[in-house]
Amino acid sequence: MLYFAIIMPVFLIYPYMIWMIIIVGILSQISIFMLSKWFNSMYASKGYEGFVEIFGERMVRLLAIIGIGFIFLKVIVIILGYIEVVRHFIFPSVNTNWMLLFILLICWYVASLGMAITIRFIVIAFLCTAWMLLLLLKLPFHSFASIHDLFPLIPYEWTMKSWKGVLFIWSAFSGPEYLVLLAPWFNKREKILKYMTIGNAFTIFEYLFIFIASLLFFGSHYLGENKLPVMEMIRYLQSPVFERIDMILISVYLFHFVFAISIFLLLFYGATRITLKKSKDQTTRLGFALSCAIFFICIMMSNELLWKKATNQNILLELEIWAGALTYLFVPLLLFISLKRKGRS
Amino acid sequence: MKHKHTKILFVIFVNLILLSGCSPIAEKNLIEEIAPVTFWSIQKGEDEKYRMSTLIPPLVKEHKRLLTVQVDLLKEGMKGFNLKYYRELKVGQLRMLLISEEIAKEGINPLIDTILTDPDISKRLYLAVVRGNFDEYINNQLKMQEDLDYYLYRMFKHYENQGKLTIINLHQFMKTLHSPAHSPVVPVFEASDENFQYLGTGIFSNDKLIETTNNMEEQIYQLIGNDHFLKYFAIRDLSIVLGHVKANSQLNIDKSYSELNLNVQLNGRLDEIARKHNILTSDELSRFESEIESYLEKQTTQFIKKLQENKVDPLQFRKYTLKPFSKPLDEKEWLNRWELMKLKVDYDLKIQPLTDIKN
Amino acid sequence: MFRKRKCIGVRKRMENSTGKAPNTPIALEALRERIDNMEDAEVIEYQTQNNKIFVLIFIGTLIDKARLNEAVIEPLRLCNYENISACISVSKITDITTLEEAEKKLMLGAILLFDTIENQWCSVDLKDPTGRGIETSETETILYGAKDSFSENLEQNITLIRRRLPLTALKSEKFTVGSLTETKIVLMYIEGLTNPDFISIAREKIKSIDFDQILDSSQLAAFMEDHYHSVFPQFQHTDRPDVCAYALGVGKLTILVDNTPFALNAPINFFHLFQSPEDYINRWIVASFLRIIRYLSFMLSLLMIPLYVALTTHHYQMIPLQILFVLVETRSKLPLTPFWESFIMLVTLEVIKEASLRMPTKSGQTLGVIGGIVVGQAAVEAGFASQVLIVLVGISAIASFLVPNYLMTKATTLIQFMLLILASYLGVMGIFMGIILLFVHLNSLTSLKQPYFTPVSPFYGKDWLDLFIRGPLHWMKTRPEALHPLQKWRYSRRR
Repeated sequence: MLYFAIIMPVFLIYPYMIWMIIIVGILSQISIFMLSKWFNSMYASKGYEGFVEIFGERMVRLLAIIGIGFIFLKVIVIILGYIEVVRHFIFPSVNTNWMLLFILLICWYVASLGMAITIRFIVIAFLCTAWMLLLLLKLPFHSFASIHDLFPLIPYEWTMKSWKGVLFIWSAFSGPEYLVLLAPWFNKREKILKYMTIGNAFTIFEYLFIFIASLLFFGSHYLGENKLPVMEMIRYLQSPVFERIDMILISVYLFHFVFAISIFLLLFYGATRITLKKSKDQTTRLGFALSCAIFFICIMMSNELLWKKATNQNILLELEIWAGALTYLFVPLLLFISLKRKGRS
Repeated sequence: MKHKHTKILFVIFVNLILLSGCSPIAEKNLIEEIAPVTFWSIQKGEDEKYRMSTLIPPLVKEHKRLLTVQVDLLKEGMKGFNLKYYRELKVGQLRMLLISEEIAKEGINPLIDTILTDPDISKRLYLAVVRGNFDEYINNQLKMQEDLDYYLYRMFKHYENQGKLTIINLHQFMKTLHSPAHSPVVPVFEASDENFQYLGTGIFSNDKLIETTNNMEEQIYQLIGNDHFLKYFAIRDLSIVLGHVKANSQLNIDKSYSELNLNVQLNGRLDEIARKHNILTSDELSRFESEIESYLEKQTTQFIKKLQENKVDPLQFRKYTLKPFSKPLDEKEWLNRWELMKLKVDYDLKIQPLTDIKN
Repeated sequence: MFRKRKCIGVRKRMENSTGKAPNTPIALEALRERIDNMEDAEVIEYQTQNNKIFVLIFIGTLIDKARLNEAVIEPLRLCNYENISACISVSKITDITTLEEAEKKLMLGAILLFDTIENQWCSVDLKDPTGRGIETSETETILYGAKDSFSENLEQNITLIRRRLPLTALKSEKFTVGSLTETKIVLMYIEGLTNPDFISIAREKIKSIDFDQILDSSQLAAFMEDHYHSVFPQFQHTDRPDVCAYALGVGKLTILVDNTPFALNAPINFFHLFQSPEDYINRWIVASFLRIIRYLSFMLSLLMIPLYVALTTHHYQMIPLQILFVLVETRSKLPLTPFWESFIMLVTLEVIKEASLRMPTKSGQTLGVIGGIVVGQAAVEAGFASQVLIVLVGISAIASFLVPNYLMTKATTLIQFMLLILASYLGVMGIFMGIILLFVHLNSLTSLKQPYFTPVSPFYGKDWLDLFIRGPLHWMKTRPEALHPLQKWRYSRRR
């Protein structure tokens, strides 16, 4: 997940977590397998109707209400996390609420163009940001980075913190469960297992790469002292034209955030319509603008009340780590089991 | 197409708000109103804790002067500069931090911490320890050389990752500082009225400067600890200068951590011989080689012994004890063993003479 | 390698699609069917003095009509002989037996003559030999390659395309729009290749136009575009017949408007605006390099000035030390903030550009020189602008001319101003917010209801061979997937 990729090394710290990333990645493949079963079923293409057929309308509305909470939490964490990065590295004196407004305005514009166009935007977002990983390739070749920074590779003590790290990785792999809601817009559902496996493999590779690079760059002892290690790493790079390319890269990274938040905005709008029993009515611009406004106000409030006050223990972040892990565990499981039961009866 | 109009109106509205000066960013970085600082020199103050100085304006063509403030806190000094000068000083382009030897001996942690917390300051900031009065040197030199600060920065940049001199930036310093049992190093310069010269490598224990290498130690350190290259390797005791020396060192610590084997292979040219010698034959050459080898072995053993006595480890020997699948020693245990470790240094020198040798 | 050859080419498939086996004996009805939907095909029945009935079939835009009258119709009218070929005073008359032969002859500028009584077919070569007043293209000049261009004459424009694509499948449908101007419009496409969706959408759009004056193809485009608020052209305007022929060949359609030398090609995508006809003439590595340079210079012309403003207003940290020294030095005496300084200089530049365009060619050049050197130099000396900015403005102005599409160049300027404003508020962050908005906008655009940003999003991997690079022609085995042509393969023989 976007923001988690930035802060991940802080939660892992020890070199043996390399294995944990791989193991959790393989476990995540099981979740993906269960999800793909859903995608291949006939219910997926029907969207809302499909869910109603399986769970019944009341249950779907209940799930939608719960989903709104999860969506809110996720968006709040990623957008506020990103704004914090911006404030730390680009504009130390920026008023975060303004920044929030600007980003949400862009997302509103993106989302107002409709789901199909928003989903298509991912290709652009991916192409505009994926090359950033290549820049990190330079870091392991600095003179102060040595292979010894990766040792020892096996754990000699296993504490609560290590468990937390595993939970964090699992949560960082979460996200594909939201694809279930986008199923009607996919046209190649037969091959989805293949695509999702490729995606999962790429995520494992990306996390491994970032983590190993940050271990080599900081060493496992200094890594814990940094708040945003990946950004510090990027910042250390210097291009001949611009001395601080981190500013450009952080801005480019906005592509992903805009994409994710726009999707979640649309999901939020859809979920609200379901809970208000209006899913059969025509969508309206006013309704959408209203839900965006609600979004903005809620995020601003949580920014003022919770995020800014957080020092060491950020309650929102903690919650999101748990929430991400839970949804990624239970959503595929729930769908899988209910599909099996439906198939039997 | 009603909504299109609302969109356009909305954009105009936002622009009007922003144009009227209601910017979300409070800080102004307009380039003509700021003075980016390229270095800070921090010395011991008379009454206050620190005396900070920097050159302003750090630009071409305007007359430069040295600005000095006496402060207790580093950031207070920043503010002090701003009260003294019509442009606001900004640290986003800070490239060098010169710390006086007295402060370095007391510990530079408070200084470094302040610098680290400032997101504007790059981790590529070069660190250096200065012996003597740097301010005086600058004041004297300004009349002759205007862009002194810039040339100094270019010097640091030139020698970075090249061997020859120790050049350390903030990130490297912090990484070694946090690695258990590794000692950070910082280059030491000497400033006098007329001169500013490189002395050697300052070895820190935690954040305190313990000692500075002398000439021979410095060369050995460059060869086995820092980039393994020296352009001129002067051995004064033997009146020999070796040129373009490349070192390849191999380190071995036995399993009980009681013995350290250091094998160094040197490749170089014989650049200068300042003593009476016979015509270079291959016999003569190998005699030279073994003479230099035994000399270097002795010197290196001495150097490392000294490090052991001081309980410092700038050569980062501990990392060689780390293995993928074995439990590492913790810091204290390692330090205890390090002190008592036996040394075995072996040099293997290969010289290419500049002229053709006779058989 | 050892698979069976699939020996089905465009021509053959087309024949298959119409349900005809090769070597069909010629028949009038079959021929009529083939030339259905072709506005310029003419079938004339004619009776001679001795009551023989002849049928003449020809493509009006390909033959020399004066000679037709003089050498065929006149003699036939006065003909008394039994044999037609004896009547006609043309050197070459060929007898024809198969339909394919007839079609080929027809499309290469011959007339077909059918003697209904004798049931005999022959063809008379009457190809229009001239390029009547055909001039070179001035808007899309290239060094190598064909130099002809469209003119104001609709028939002649059709001729130019037909000569390049001698196919009966190349249809041309005629429409009339404009209640006052009664402008003739011809919609051209290759039947059996172009996606029929495009054709029906285009037909509907043209039919729904209800406006009094359509004097130019760009006015027509304005009514046919899906998004008329956008700054991006959604039709490719070109006056080069080879470009049109290429577009038709890969599955697009072309619209010709009477009294304008500019044809419209659609559906296009954003990246077509960066493709020059010369790309297909140069060697592929060179062409790819040039194309990449074009994209780069597009980015440069968009970003350079906004970046200057962002860096000097917000991010002095990003500027390398040496340049920073120069900038602080030159900027410290200027009265204007970087934003207003660049805004004014950019507006001035646009004024100079526009002025030199409206002037007669020779004085236009002088104006450019005066504008460039004198105004720039004077602005620096008078202390209005810094040298660095003048250099940047100059580079970005030159870079903006590398985009082959002139309409796109103008769009660039507008986007540049938008980015400039954003950069002055939010620095680099603002610029990238602007770029995101730009990409989102491009992503939502459509041209003839087809996505405008297409090989990128939605993603078509094979089309990337001819996107940022121009791959070797040997590798471009298929027509662009994004256009969904009815015939995918470009080779008629494929292993």
